[in-house]
Amino acid sequence: MGTRTQVVDERGAALERADLLERCDAAVAHALASGADEAEAFASSHGGTSVQLEKGDLQLARVSMGEALGLRVFVGGRLGFASTNQAASPAALADLAASAVALAKLSPVDPAAGLLAARELFGGPLPSEPALWALAPASVVALAGKLMEVCRGFDKRVSVDQGAIRFSRGSSAVVSSRGARAAESDAGLSASLFGMAVDGADVGGFDALSEWTRGADSFEPALERMGRRFARTVLDNLGAGKATSYRGPVLFAPDAFAELFLGPLVGALSALAVQRGRSALAGKLGTAVAAAHFTLRDAPGDAELAGACLVDREGSATADRALVERGVLGTYLSNARAARLEGLAESTGHAQGSARGVPGIGAHNLVVDAGDGGDAKEMAARLGRGLLVGRFSGTVDGTSGDFSGVAKSARWVEGGEIVRSLGETLIAGNAFEALGQLGALSTERETLGGSARVPWAIADGLNVTAG
Amino acid sequence: MHTQEDPTAWLASALVGREDGFVELRLHRKRQRSVAVEKGRVDAAMSTEHSGVGVRVLEGGTFGFASTGSLEIEAIRRAIDDARSAARASAGLRRARIENLAPAQLARGRFEVPGYDELEGRSLEELLQLVLSTEARARASSGSVDSASCAYTEVLEEKAIVTTDGARAWLRHVRPELRVGAIARDGAQLQRGSRSVGATGGWECLFRAAGADQLADEAARIAVDRLGAGYPEGGRKRVLLSPALVGLLTHEAIGHTVEADFVQSGSCAAGKLGQRVASELVTLCDSGASEYTDGAGGTLPVDDEGVFAGRTAIIEQGVLKNYLHNRESAAHFGVAPTGNGRAWEYQNEPLIRMRNTYIEPGTSTFEQLLEGIEDGYLLDGPANGQADANGEFMFGTQEAYHVKNGVVGPLLRGVNLSGRAFDVLASVDGVGRDFRWDLGSGHCGKGQPAKVDAGGPWVRCEVLLGGRG
Repeated sequence: MGTRTQVVDERGAALERADLLERCDAAVAHALASGADEAEAFASSHGGTSVQLEKGDLQLARVSMGEALGLRVFVGGRLGFASTNQAASPAALADLAASAVALAKLSPVDPAAGLLAARELFGGPLPSEPALWALAPASVVALAGKLMEVCRGFDKRVSVDQGAIRFSRGSSAVVSSRGARAAESDAGLSASLFGMAVDGADVGGFDALSEWTRGADSFEPALERMGRRFARTVLDNLGAGKATSYRGPVLFAPDAFAELFLGPLVGALSALAVQRGRSALAGKLGTAVAAAHFTLRDAPGDAELAGACLVDREGSATADRALVERGVLGTYLSNARAARLEGLAESTGHAQGSARGVPGIGAHNLVVDAGDGGDAKEMAARLGRGLLVGRFSGTVDGTSGDFSGVAKSARWVEGGEIVRSLGETLIAGNAFEALGQLGALSTERETLGGSARVPWAIADGLNVTAG
Repeated sequence: MHTQEDPTAWLASALVGREDGFVELRLHRKRQRSVAVEKGRVDAAMSTEHSGVGVRVLEGGTFGFASTGSLEIEAIRRAIDDARSAARASAGLRRARIENLAPAQLARGRFEVPGYDELEGRSLEELLQLVLSTEARARASSGSVDSASCAYTEVLEEKAIVTTDGARAWLRHVRPELRVGAIARDGAQLQRGSRSVGATGGWECLFRAAGADQLADEAARIAVDRLGAGYPEGGRKRVLLSPALVGLLTHEAIGHTVEADFVQSGSCAAGKLGQRVASELVTLCDSGASEYTDGAGGTLPVDDEGVFAGRTAIIEQGVLKNYLHNRESAAHFGVAPTGNGRAWEYQNEPLIRMRNTYIEPGTSTFEQLLEGIEDGYLLDGPANGQADANGEFMFGTQEAYHVKNGVVGPLLRGVNLSGRAFDVLASVDGVGRDFRWDLGSGHCGKGQPAKVDAGGPWVRCEVLLGGRG
């Protein structure tokens, strides 16, 4: 593909960071000149190539590029925010600043509103393979060809509804009038498959798998592994039978474990959720919130995971830390707003978000320590009899922890062995209670969506309803 | 670009010298104003504007797509070249080449859903006041309410769609939403209640069923009532679904399985056209218009391929009649496109998406529907939902009430319900006569979001409940 913008090597990324920093400087200057007491600009630029598959065939090749700038201002303790993707000109930046300041002047005063004092941090590129930075669009198309080849090797009953190869690269910068100044760049390559198996009138439940990497060299074998696993799962989803209703232990594959338990747990760790009275973990710092063999870490320094970063959305330094260690709650997660509400001078470096909105709070890379339960097969043996949940499709109330939904890619385990696929099987329980009743965690872990490393887990006290 | 004037001629000028094959240009200007308040503090008072042009080119039997955030003609021309290069570079991989797109009467002219100027003219001060007072009302409604939140968002969209085969459409619409949440506490126990509304249209459409005060009161009531509430019993149950849940049922259980791209992949609706798939009481449709009452959230007069977005009867009196199409799938099936090609922003290509999906009203009163339940549940308050290829769906509810011999008991905590789409529709034995759109604050996810709405009357059927005990 002879496109204009897709190849940006590491040197080009350095220029891109410098350009974004300059644009942020200008936006902050415009905001202060327009009457802001404090201002923070966050700018991002991205580009990439993707090839999408549909119905097992090529559907669309895409080249993309874009940029955005978000400006947060405070005027007398009042908040205003404006964002645009048309910030290339000084006049547009001046309009953006005027808009943000005008919004702030309409807002009510909040004594805790404002930025934190910060320092300039070293930014730079995250450690992607040099070859990845300069990945040509033609190489992305070639990888899509490889993925299609993998798909064509599947059993004829496997139907790939959607798939994709995506290469994306981008840079971001943040500058504030309180001293924050940082920029970084990143590049990644991902693949995904989504589909099901169809055998005559028997349509199996769908499954989805993805791979993500900062290194292009190892990607082709990863595509083959992903393809084999995808095909096996959707074929095993055929011929679904009925479960037996019971209350007791359930075995969760890493995807289901993360959705059901890590999601509400991390949501409840938000310092804002604690301050606003919507966290079940309020007042529990230093106390047991999970079984003693459960340790959850946030690892922004783990460059093998997609959420790796040197600084957060507000330019604060990130650091690896245990969120829950041996079952005991170690820290809440905060951004500048939450830190100021607590009267703290520093956040925990968990501001997250894009240039299109005010920063929120979230973890970067979630890593659950491996247990001693062996691999998935050994975990099934430990369960003995009951339900194995591959994915969870349902509702998790992040406030109460109550969940209810359908077990997908579900299997029935009998005598420690998987004996059949299941359909119409519902599970219900409470995530916070179940974390306290965690049984074995597997030694083997899986990387989910590139940014979480999670084991298989057995949790007890859950309700299983068979259709 | 002058947005007060028809931009289609300006946009079409980018095609000069680049008309080979099929080229589709979509100018998309999206402005958003949002205000969010939680526990008395303003978390967001923001204004965003993101505009650009998405370009799709059909070349060598496949599509190439590129986009630009620049509104300069030269930048759009470069994007056309990029999209064409992308199509050429990847065409060798494609087996089933797209020979043609389905012919359609393509839209030309100006299309506007009322409400745009009205909401654009409302001051942010007024919106802030609305959100602050609504949040305060929810928080003050009970001593058990510990925290509340309220958020208002409006998205003002302008689009121009130009294709080499004749579309020249200019559209404007506005989509406001209001969400209210309340957290009630009893010791260590927390329970959440929420209510939200959304529309395509002005203030009257947004608040057609309930004002902001009523939404605040209801969110707080649900949170408080759920404290100490029991759980429904799990199992296969006869239930009475509210219009919001009927909307979720039509969207999740049926709508996704009849999207023609999913049908081609082998969804459970494949090969069933003309077959009975539901009770004869069921007529289920998807429409770009807001049928019965104005303001349904997924309303659009013309889709993002420039095709008129009319009403499509998916199931008529129990018989599967149509799938939902874009121009590519319509050509494959040899039918007319149904106006379901939708893109979220300028960087996204049009996909087959639903718009306003619903079951048509029947003849039963609410009381008659209740009387038919010996031992079951009345369910209301939509949460999230998903559908599977095999027709197995699930969606969540906030509220469940046990019904014994037609008498409604106290509130129980919400549950998730599931079933096989066509089995559930076959079990329908009562359809109410009062219609309501009730999912206007919902978004559907399929690689990219889409604003949708759904609704219907109260419907009685049998589903699987994921309760406890």
